[in-house]
Amino acid sequence: MARCSALILIFIFLLGVLPAWNAPRALPGDGANFCAIPLTQVVEIPISRQGAPGTAPSPGGDAPTLMISPGATDELPEGPDSFDVLDDGSLLITDPLRSRIVVFDPQGKFRKAWKIGFAADSVTVIPNGMIVVQEAGTGQLHLFDRDGQPHPKEVAAFPGRAEARVLTGASGTIARTAFHKSPRDPLAIQFDRSGRILLSIEGLGDDREGNTYVALESTAASGSTEEVNVSKDVRKYTADGALVREIANIPLDYYVSPVDELRVNKGMVYQLLTTKTGVKINEWNTNQLCSRP
Amino acid sequence: MTLSGVSPVLSRLLIPLTCLLLTLVSSSEPQTGVIARLPRTSRAEIVARAKELANHPWICGNSNLRASCSSRYHSDWKAGQRVTGIPYRWGGTDGPEDFDRKLAKGSAAGAHSRYGVLSCAAGIDCSGFVTLCWGLSASGHAYSTSNLREIAGKPKYNWFTDMKPGDVLNLPGSHVVLFTGYNPDGTINVCEASGSKARVVCHGSTWSRFKRYIPLQYKGIDE
Repeated sequence: MARCSALILIFIFLLGVLPAWNAPRALPGDGANFCAIPLTQVVEIPISRQGAPGTAPSPGGDAPTLMISPGATDELPEGPDSFDVLDDGSLLITDPLRSRIVVFDPQGKFRKAWKIGFAADSVTVIPNGMIVVQEAGTGQLHLFDRDGQPHPKEVAAFPGRAEARVLTGASGTIARTAFHKSPRDPLAIQFDRSGRILLSIEGLGDDREGNTYVALESTAASGSTEEVNVSKDVRKYTADGALVREIANIPLDYYVSPVDELRVNKGMVYQLLTTKTGVKINEWNTNQLCSRP
Repeated sequence: MTLSGVSPVLSRLLIPLTCLLLTLVSSSEPQTGVIARLPRTSRAEIVARAKELANHPWICGNSNLRASCSSRYHSDWKAGQRVTGIPYRWGGTDGPEDFDRKLAKGSAAGAHSRYGVLSCAAGIDCSGFVTLCWGLSASGHAYSTSNLREIAGKPKYNWFTDMKPGDVLNLPGSHVVLFTGYNPDGTINVCEASGSKARVVCHGSTWSRFKRYIPLQYKGIDE
């Protein structure tokens, strides 16, 4: 009986502790409290290696896998290097070696492939719901609808990137868009991280609530190392300029160098990570409530 | 003075030290010779060559879609396609003149490593590109990412702030890009012979892409 009670107590204790284990944790920093967001979900999509039996190097096909080429000495591996997310969470991923854009459901299950007839190295869902695809070999932009139908007569253009500026190793600014009441006021970014200096600021977009998402690259303040060594964080700022969420040290062990590695949709931050064994979509939910310690 | 007049420890070290000195002298001599023979160039010339290769216009003809020496070859291009930038060819070192000449003779426009080094294709690879920008001869492929260190040293400055146009970021055995400048947002501009873009391109990039790369500075630069 006593053993049973002890087990029940342990069970109740774990019920209380486990949800908090993976919940965002409030951290002091940059003059405010913000939450460190843990990885919420990893969607894994299988790949085929070019040259393996049964893999066609030719364009087209309805294969449910994405294709990579391992490259060689003095040639980088090639394969899926760009993606974006539709409003329903579906994933659009470039499959340049088969001249396709492949659509997967939010769990990574193959839905369909658009046979676009060229190797694409960038795919972007624009605010009107259309999709802009960049041809890798020419840089030309092509417009598609959500069913993968081309719209050749319409002009395709990427949305403009927010202008950012690194001011010092600990500060910078980034322009904000029309979602804000005062879009002319740039967002001030403070990077007070002990032992590290800010290298770059990259705008990932704003949402309808006026939140701004940025990616920050930093390096050790101690100076040069044997090789380029950087880390990358993603931050979410409110319309008032308050830092509220941070995803620290996103994985950077890319096998295929990405063109578009990060996307934001409805408060979810997505990362495309093409590894030797598969394509991973790492997801962080910045909408999670912040648990205060 | 005879060896017996020297302290016993020093006399025992004398022969190995002499051997070491002779080895150092003999090994540094060819290296010094290589560097002395390197073509001298300015940073402005390096960047100008890179832009010339990235902006070179050409049109893909029907005959450039096939590689006579490879049955597995698949072209990155379409007939009649207008392209800007010398195409990527693994093992290639073709500058604009050589590329145009080969294209006119019906060589395949570019090729990837999956088809092997194709003598019947025209174009340039990553290490061929940076060495050509540095002014080295386009004939032959003496340097790859693995031995670029023989003609390029590792700079001692802070490369996040003090790299200069014409320096490179090299990942031995993998890839190399030419640095052309910093942007106000902290990202960098590079030019490269890119396999995934199938040609020479200049573009902006974050630092993350170059994690583990090593900055190098060509030893034949006239500062």
